[in-house]
Amino acid sequence: MKNNIVLGVIGADCHAVGNRILDYAFTEAGFEVINIGVLSSQEDFINAAIETNARAILVSSLYGHGEIDCRGLREKCEEAGLKDILLYAGGNLVVGKQDWESVEKRFKDMGFNRVYAPGTTPQMGIRDLKEDLKIV
Amino acid sequence: MELKNKKWTEAEFNKVREEVLTHWPTGKDVDLQEAAQFLKGIPEHKNFAAKLRKAKQEGITLAQPRAGVALVDEHIKLLQHLQNEGEADFLPCTIDSYTRQNRYNECQVGIEESIKTNRSMLNGFPAVNHGVHNCRKVLAAVETPLQARHGTPDSRLLAEIIHAGGWTSNEGGGISYNIPYAKSVSVERSLLDWQYCDRLAGLYEEMGIEINREPFGPLTGTLVPPSMSNAVAIIEGLLAAEQGVKSLTLGYGQCGNLVQDVAAIRSLIELSEEYFKTYGYKVDLTTVFHQWMGGFPADESKAFGVISWGAATAALAGATKVIVKTPHEAVGIPTMEANAQGIKATKQTLNLLKGQRLQMSKELELEIKLIKAETKCILDKVLELGKGDFAIGTVKAFEAGVIDVPFAPSKYNVGKMLPARDNNGAVRYLEFGNIPMTKEIKDFNKQLLEERAKSEGRQVSFQMVVDDIYAVGKGTLVGKPEK
Repeated sequence: MKNNIVLGVIGADCHAVGNRILDYAFTEAGFEVINIGVLSSQEDFINAAIETNARAILVSSLYGHGEIDCRGLREKCEEAGLKDILLYAGGNLVVGKQDWESVEKRFKDMGFNRVYAPGTTPQMGIRDLKEDLKIV
Repeated sequence: MELKNKKWTEAEFNKVREEVLTHWPTGKDVDLQEAAQFLKGIPEHKNFAAKLRKAKQEGITLAQPRAGVALVDEHIKLLQHLQNEGEADFLPCTIDSYTRQNRYNECQVGIEESIKTNRSMLNGFPAVNHGVHNCRKVLAAVETPLQARHGTPDSRLLAEIIHAGGWTSNEGGGISYNIPYAKSVSVERSLLDWQYCDRLAGLYEEMGIEINREPFGPLTGTLVPPSMSNAVAIIEGLLAAEQGVKSLTLGYGQCGNLVQDVAAIRSLIELSEEYFKTYGYKVDLTTVFHQWMGGFPADESKAFGVISWGAATAALAGATKVIVKTPHEAVGIPTMEANAQGIKATKQTLNLLKGQRLQMSKELELEIKLIKAETKCILDKVLELGKGDFAIGTVKAFEAGVIDVPFAPSKYNVGKMLPARDNNGAVRYLEFGNIPMTKEIKDFNKQLLEERAKSEGRQVSFQMVVDDIYAVGKGTLVGKPEK
């Protein structure tokens, strides 16, 4: 089974650099990356995941509106029939320097499987994804 | 309307304007004549163009932060802190990202949620939703000029509201606020929409009110070779001047190598003045230097090192203004305290270097010559593609990859060019893509990168670019291979 993953930057966010690097790093690590790029809506992520039978959705947000933009993504995935899809989020997810644990909890409560703080290397996400997908 | 580099007629402008003012209910409060009267009553120390001109005459560098929050009173509190504690010379109103995409309904959600949760849920000040009256309220509460800073491909209504609100400068341009900030807005569309913004500034000028315009120099802020950003800055400057803009601040984002950065500012001034003269524009030209726009170290003391290095370079280059970063850069939007600290570190450095300039040297001379030659290669081709028209030429230059911005999200950008640092940290072209340069220039860039590759014991490759992107955050300028 091919390991398709959907990668993109959510909402009105246009930070493209990290997106390019994640694409490069996950592809190098053997994943089939469907990169929907910046300025992507929840529907864009979900449609891409359905079309490509993806196993995970990786959401980036660098500009602080991540909390508003990510709300309801898990519920919409379920409605669309993506029952067990992995949801990861990472970046500068909220406005300002906030206590990381509370940010992580807020995103986990929203249904994200993994949440990454600013400055996380792509390698960490790759390791976790391999573990979650049971890829050796 | 057909795009060409020609001043809009009154009829053309008014026809578009009628529609623009209906994009959101606050548009109906903009009355050009009333706004002109209001702007005439603003004291000189609150006029952006006047303060820049004075700084240029005195040969000093002024400091400006970025800042903006969702609610009016909170925004005022923030700006007053940056003015009183940070001693900012200019104040910004950074506009939130929903406004930048003209999603005013989502701004309204952000405003309401910010009131409910008692913290800003937006990453900037939604000026369109707040309207003319509130923009004036912000101006009344501070003692420096105000500028809108954003990243909006279609900033027409925003420009109308902020200028009527007494903010005497608007950042952006048809290339620099599209290609790094949007995915699917055509270059033709954003050039037209920014001609509107420039024409609006020009109209105020004709009514005797000085409005400053500042194209966004750093583009994607990620390893942009100086000749590419200078070419874009000069084009945006020329397009603005055609629409009647008189006070123009051209920008450049720090790359990190002192000689290259100083050369970039000096060649930007010399070359743009040459072009303005050729085309007969009378422009009051100033420059803005952006402190390092890429990834920052998370450690705050280390971040101050990066901030001060940017301030030092701006002073030694002789830029009129420097845009300041903060010790919170690595984690996102700063608190007002952290923001003020960034300005203070900057101003201390600027004051120490007051009057000092980097002396001309063989290296500096060579670098200025190189940047100018590269920039000319791009601009000559743009003009050729446009058959003498820079606006038409720009659209075609993006299609052809003649102008190519690294790491840009826009699908209208070819994205074949790749930059990387040489051994001294200066940014060079690794892949030229379709950028037309002489063989001599291409060979020189290649030679410098091969020297670096050799010293690192690896091939010139994309991994080098990735390493460079992370390098400053990890404490070095040039990204070395991991041991």
